[in-house]
Amino acid sequence: MNTVVYSARRILTMNPNQPFATHVAVRDGRILGAGSIESLKGWGRFELDDRFAGKVILPGFVEGHSHAYEGGVWKFPYVGYFDRTSPDGTRSSGLKSIDEVVATLQAYERTMPRDGSTLLAWGFDPIYFGGRRMDLADLDEVSTARPVVVLHSNLHVLNANTPVFAKAGITRHTNVHGVVKDERGEPSGELQENTAKFMAYRAAGVELSTLLSDGAATWGFAKVAQLAGVTTATDLHNTLPESTVAAYLEASASVDFPLRLLPAFAAFSMSPDDGIARLRELAKKNSERLRFQLVKIITDGSIQGLSARMRWPGYYDGTLNGVWNVGPDEIDRLLLAYHRAGFQVHIHTNGDQASEVAIEAVERALATAPRWDHRHTLQHAQMADAGQFRRMKALGMCANLFTNHLFYWGDVHYAKTLGPERAERMNACGTALHLGVPFAIHCDAPVTPIGPLFTAWCAVNRLTATGRTLGEAEKISVAHALHAITLGAAYTLKLDEELGSIDVGKRADFAILDDDPLAVAPVKLKDIGIWGTMLGGRIFEAPRT
Amino acid sequence: MGNDARRPHLRSPEDVTTPIPFTVIGGFLGAGKTTLLNRLLTGATGRKLAVLINDFGALDIDGELVAAHGGDTIALSNGCLCCTIGDSLVETLLTLLERPEQLDHIVVEASGVADPGRIADLAMLEPRLARDGVIVVVDSGDVQQRAVDRRVGDTVMRQLKAADLLVLNKIDLARDPTAVRTWLAGQATAPIVEAQYGDVPAALLFGLDQLGTTHPGGEAENFRSWSYRWSGPVDRAALLAMLTETSTDVLRAKGIVRFSDSADRRSIIHMVGRRIDVSEDGPWRGDAESRLVLLGARSVLHFLERE
Ligand SMILES: [Zn+2]
Ligand SMILES: [Zn+2]
Repeated sequence: MNTVVYSARRILTMNPNQPFATHVAVRDGRILGAGSIESLKGWGRFELDDRFAGKVILPGFVEGHSHAYEGGVWKFPYVGYFDRTSPDGTRSSGLKSIDEVVATLQAYERTMPRDGSTLLAWGFDPIYFGGRRMDLADLDEVSTARPVVVLHSNLHVLNANTPVFAKAGITRHTNVHGVVKDERGEPSGELQENTAKFMAYRAAGVELSTLLSDGAATWGFAKVAQLAGVTTATDLHNTLPESTVAAYLEASASVDFPLRLLPAFAAFSMSPDDGIARLRELAKKNSERLRFQLVKIITDGSIQGLSARMRWPGYYDGTLNGVWNVGPDEIDRLLLAYHRAGFQVHIHTNGDQASEVAIEAVERALATAPRWDHRHTLQHAQMADAGQFRRMKALGMCANLFTNHLFYWGDVHYAKTLGPERAERMNACGTALHLGVPFAIHCDAPVTPIGPLFTAWCAVNRLTATGRTLGEAEKISVAHALHAITLGAAYTLKLDEELGSIDVGKRADFAILDDDPLAVAPVKLKDIGIWGTMLGGRIFEAPRT
Repeated sequence: MGNDARRPHLRSPEDVTTPIPFTVIGGFLGAGKTTLLNRLLTGATGRKLAVLINDFGALDIDGELVAAHGGDTIALSNGCLCCTIGDSLVETLLTLLERPEQLDHIVVEASGVADPGRIADLAMLEPRLARDGVIVVVDSGDVQQRAVDRRVGDTVMRQLKAADLLVLNKIDLARDPTAVRTWLAGQATAPIVEAQYGDVPAALLFGLDQLGTTHPGGEAENFRSWSYRWSGPVDRAALLAMLTETSTDVLRAKGIVRFSDSADRRSIIHMVGRRIDVSEDGPWRGDAESRLVLLGARSVLHFLERE
């Protein structure tokens, strides 16, 4: 029985009985105790490890809403506007114009074999390019000898080059939703709807879902999470085909796998009877590092994609209301089935009407089948107002708020989609806190990069990319934000008894930081270096570049 | 329609590249889409249908009809297939197109909140499919209420407007059938067919692929098919005007026609509800006889007989 005591500059425990400590004792992958070296001596012989003596230790960060695709996308070049870190720790610089994107792709193209294979890139976001969109000619400059496909950061839109359009047979005569046309009536090179996108993928020979969720992608996801101090993360919407389950089982079986992974089963992908049976079967394979227990229902679209379901008065710019992916009747049916079967359901709701429908579905499910401590969670709940938070509280629901949105799309929401008032109050952490709704905050990677300290920074500072503060009253303290990325997030996953704080008996999962989040200026929170993590007592140092 | 294989088919069997007609059935949960699909699947004779549905659970197929049940596909002894859509309609559809079976028609059941028009777009992008019709099934009992529901009203209206043909189902349960019909006619331009338990004729949904024979009818009592042939070229505008003018009564039309403005080429007319497509189909061979089959209510037949 080997006990190691780690010393640290400071340990932030999230345990109110002892919020700060200097030492933590680890045995059998669990926390034996935290406190001073004196207070830990009573446990008997131990080995003292001072390697973290200058570091600050927190509970391992818990990312309650991310997607394992984040690990897969790094097989392809990143062409986004903001800097981003890959699983091996290298940093890709943000590209500040379409010309820079084209130049980067040209350089990458020259490294590829001359076999006509497809060049796929991701992360593109034209919102800061003054209205200029990427077109066919831009990507034809990259190559006309191979298909070129550029996936936008929202994953809903793509651009392609002429070879892709030619092979897919998309011309000026193709009158299909989502095929964007220029002023001459020719396809511009941008495709927006699933149907059109799928045809382009097929023409380019791209099998996206397989490419993004194989074994390498699973490892990539764990690594990119580890770099950000994350020890537990969700893959929050997956149909869980055999191939993906096999990849997850294989990766998580290795003690070197640096993550506890929680996939959420996509409820709409099969009938509830079949889905419940499948999930129960999968749960038998649960291990320390892999848990099948979550269910996900996607209700509406996204706010920036103008497809979220809004209550009156709708979009600020007058765009028609968004679309239901799963409509109110189906939400009721799916939720009730999984609720009855004892599962916790995570419901994606971006617009406030979607939140309303989800809340009412939970209300009806509870009236039909009363159940305690269900913790059904609204994922995103970006536009939820105080009234909706009061109802969530009354029903025993949780919220996981998408604070990264404030930075990445806050300016667009202020000017175009929501208007000032609703942009100011979106992702209302302050309201959730005041009303006592248990909440977490999230990144939705790969939509935005995984990085709980950045996500916490968003909740604390509420700054947009151009530096506007959105909603002074919804700001929360650094301490509350740190709670939201550890114990708070663990609560929304029903893992709070097992992890999320540094307390006797819990898993020895730590985020090891270069600096003290409670000591630095709140506006510097996102800049704190992450040394690495500990998962179940194993140390995972982040590669430094 | 009859199923006599000796009748000439518009789709010649040797022409394997002929795209497969693609129909989308839309409408809200509870409108009766599944009932209608049930009837079509189990009533199909000779025609190999593939039906893509959301959930097997709602289906009610006689066990004796099931030839094989493998996961997400049920093969029926009458040659039809039924598949669940799962997570991605496009993927399910493409997998279906890879199957060896020769399919005569593919029908997709849109989810309750989907815009069936967007699903029909698939056929515009996939050369192996030919867009047939968008048929939206409406529950007479609650459509007006749903249309003003703040959560789903706009979705209902999108569906109604996307329809080429509206099936006003459960008409027997409507408190005031005339009022519903009048209201519906004011919302959308598609012709309306009334039904109980989804009892609409298969030909209405799957087209008139037999040409050249006059039918005595034999469909549900409110519908008749009517076959017409003539030898001289016909004026394009006049014929299309006739179909358009009566398009609230002519529910379907299919034909090979010799128009006077392109007398040497075959023009294919395909009409489902309010939607008419005319396409060029190569030169005439042999006798240049125009043929047109219509399906409609009885009153239309009288009108045409007078022509
Ligand atoms: Zn989501
Ligand atoms: Zn997500």
